[in-house]
Amino acid sequence: MTTTTITTARPPLTRWTGGGWGMKLAPYLFLIPNMVIFAMFTIYPALNGFNMSLYESNNGRTFRWVGLDNYRKILTDAEFWDVVRNTVIYAVAFVVLGTLVALATAALVNAQRRGKTFFRAVFFIPVLVSPVVVGLIWNWMLERQNGLVNTALGWFGIPAVPWLVDDTWAMVAIILVGIWMQMGFYMLILLAGLQAIDPALYEAARMDGANWWQQFRVITVPLLQPSIVVVVVLATIHGFQSFDFIWTLTGGGPVGATTLMVQYIYENGFQSPIRYGIATAGGVLLFLTVFTLTLVNWLISRRREAV
Amino acid sequence: MALMRKRTLAALALGASALLVAGCAPGQVEDDSPQEVQTANPEDFAGKTLTYMYFTDGPDEEATRQLIGEFEEKYDVTVDLEILPYADLVTSTLNRLSGGNAPDVARLTSLTDFRDDLLVLDPYLGDSYSAEFLPGPLQAVKNADDDMIAVPSDLTMNGPFVNAELFEKAGVEIPEKWTWDEMLAAAEEVKEKTGTPYAFAMDKSGHRLSTILSQYGTYMLNADGNALDIDKAEQALQPLVDLMADDDMPADFWLGSGSRYAGANEIFLAGETPIYLSGNWQVAQFSKDATFDWAVAPNPCAAQCGGFPGGKFMAAFKQSENPALAAEFIRFMNDAESQETFVTTAGALPTRADLSESGVDYGDETTQAAMDVFLADLLLTPEEGFAANAHPAFSPAATELVDALSVVVAGQADLRTALTSLSEKIDALVAELSS
Repeated sequence: MTTTTITTARPPLTRWTGGGWGMKLAPYLFLIPNMVIFAMFTIYPALNGFNMSLYESNNGRTFRWVGLDNYRKILTDAEFWDVVRNTVIYAVAFVVLGTLVALATAALVNAQRRGKTFFRAVFFIPVLVSPVVVGLIWNWMLERQNGLVNTALGWFGIPAVPWLVDDTWAMVAIILVGIWMQMGFYMLILLAGLQAIDPALYEAARMDGANWWQQFRVITVPLLQPSIVVVVVLATIHGFQSFDFIWTLTGGGPVGATTLMVQYIYENGFQSPIRYGIATAGGVLLFLTVFTLTLVNWLISRRREAV
Repeated sequence: MALMRKRTLAALALGASALLVAGCAPGQVEDDSPQEVQTANPEDFAGKTLTYMYFTDGPDEEATRQLIGEFEEKYDVTVDLEILPYADLVTSTLNRLSGGNAPDVARLTSLTDFRDDLLVLDPYLGDSYSAEFLPGPLQAVKNADDDMIAVPSDLTMNGPFVNAELFEKAGVEIPEKWTWDEMLAAAEEVKEKTGTPYAFAMDKSGHRLSTILSQYGTYMLNADGNALDIDKAEQALQPLVDLMADDDMPADFWLGSGSRYAGANEIFLAGETPIYLSGNWQVAQFSKDATFDWAVAPNPCAAQCGGFPGGKFMAAFKQSENPALAAEFIRFMNDAESQETFVTTAGALPTRADLSESGVDYGDETTQAAMDVFLADLLLTPEEGFAANAHPAFSPAATELVDALSVVVAGQADLRTALTSLSEKIDALVAELSS
């Protein structure tokens, strides 16, 4: 009997050695289509927004150079400062409460032995609903006389709350609805961070006699810090840019009590009399605010990481 | 060091790009030189296409499509009817103008934002064409040179709707003429006797509030600018403030929608109020959806009678490649026969002098009775109402009027203070829009 041996040795792996330049150029070539779109639809409009804020126009076609006059007009407009106050109140409450609620929810979901996926999905559903629809639904639910919320409160003997017609309650309403709408997204980020923490650390802490609070303070919070920074940055951006659900929930009312910065920009840019210059100047101020806050957040987190 | 150099280079490149963009005006720099009007022979229309940007109130679409079909057949052209939501009308039109892609013809509710872009129609339609329309609505379509830049295509009139069943149940007569005091007394009596939540409701709209101002003899605007008489405005609006304070008018409805317009038609349709101040465009919906007998009552009188006018316009744009065809289309859609078809189907009032004089047959009895009341009020409406509504600052001033009343309803200011502030804002708007 003869035996035939077939050699099936794989040819050696070769690396493409299209020259040093080829290797260096390839990633950029892949990025070009995306960057072209990004440049056309994000960078150019943003830069043009800065430029347009130095002109006045009521039709978007003819422009009159006014220099910094749009900024002067905005900064001396009492309505603008009311809007700034509302925006700061909303954004601070949204960021602080939103992060805390998302953190608590993530911790609770993470502690579940069963049904984690179910709870994760349930809390995430509001993120998937159109903000305009969220506003409409809550407008109906928070209606003073026949709304679902006040009806439910009535069962416990609590008098009807003027959610949408009282300055303070309307602000409370948009903060709560804003958190309800975005919380699931932040919770997912924090949940991913929680799941990345080594359980052995908790086990060791428990063996050393640490209680729940001590574990949370000494292990969870420091190790979750990168995720918390992401959530705080995103919540800051969302908080300052909130508009769509507020527009359908309160319309910025009552009497401007829930009018935030983006609505101020929208009303100047798209409602008669149209003032594109003022609207874009407002957009630039909003950009600078959000950019500065994000930068501060990032610098603080970097310093902590270094420590 | 190398990293530092790279970052510096990147920053410089970004800065250079910014300067490049910032160095150019974001669009065309203002040019006041007059634009030449193109003309064309109507025989050249055959085979051409026209775009008509349109929003619909519902029943008018059918009439518009029918009339477009007739126009296409008559001139051997194609009309692209582009229907868009009313909320997008101004933004979309401005965007299209910016992109050099304006429609040939558009249906508009206000000309304020487009005045400089509209085609002067006189060279195409003739100097005497404007005489075919009522003088009131014509005020809104003339530019500073008294040229016609649009055609008033249909007219609206504000007025009170009454729940006839509730009035009958309460044993209260609907008179043929009443004052504001009499109307509100009747409303409160019906409310008491029938147990409705409210006595009176109205749309949250500065246009509707202007009806009451007009009846008390004042307007926000006239040809000279700010025309608000604060004493008269206070007399006009105080009853509304009192009604909302007493829960006879839904204050939550007024405050709960912020700066958005809100219609109280659902409150009326739910039978929650015996009287609802709105306008003739509600007739078609109430004919279809109301589960009770309703009627249109005459506008209440105070210092003067009549309602407050509004309406829609058909206008062509200077950017149109076929201005003569666009103008011809506007003429066709607004000749006596076409306008009668349109207004009877849409439940609108005619703008043509001949149709207003001869009257229009709306087909069914309820609509006819309702529209006859609006038409009668149209004849009583002072010319100042048309002038106020035609002023370029009317729309933003109307928003300020709603805000002024909202401040009072919310208890943040007294009515006189709010009206004084409103007057200052009207001055600023007039100055801004006249510059």
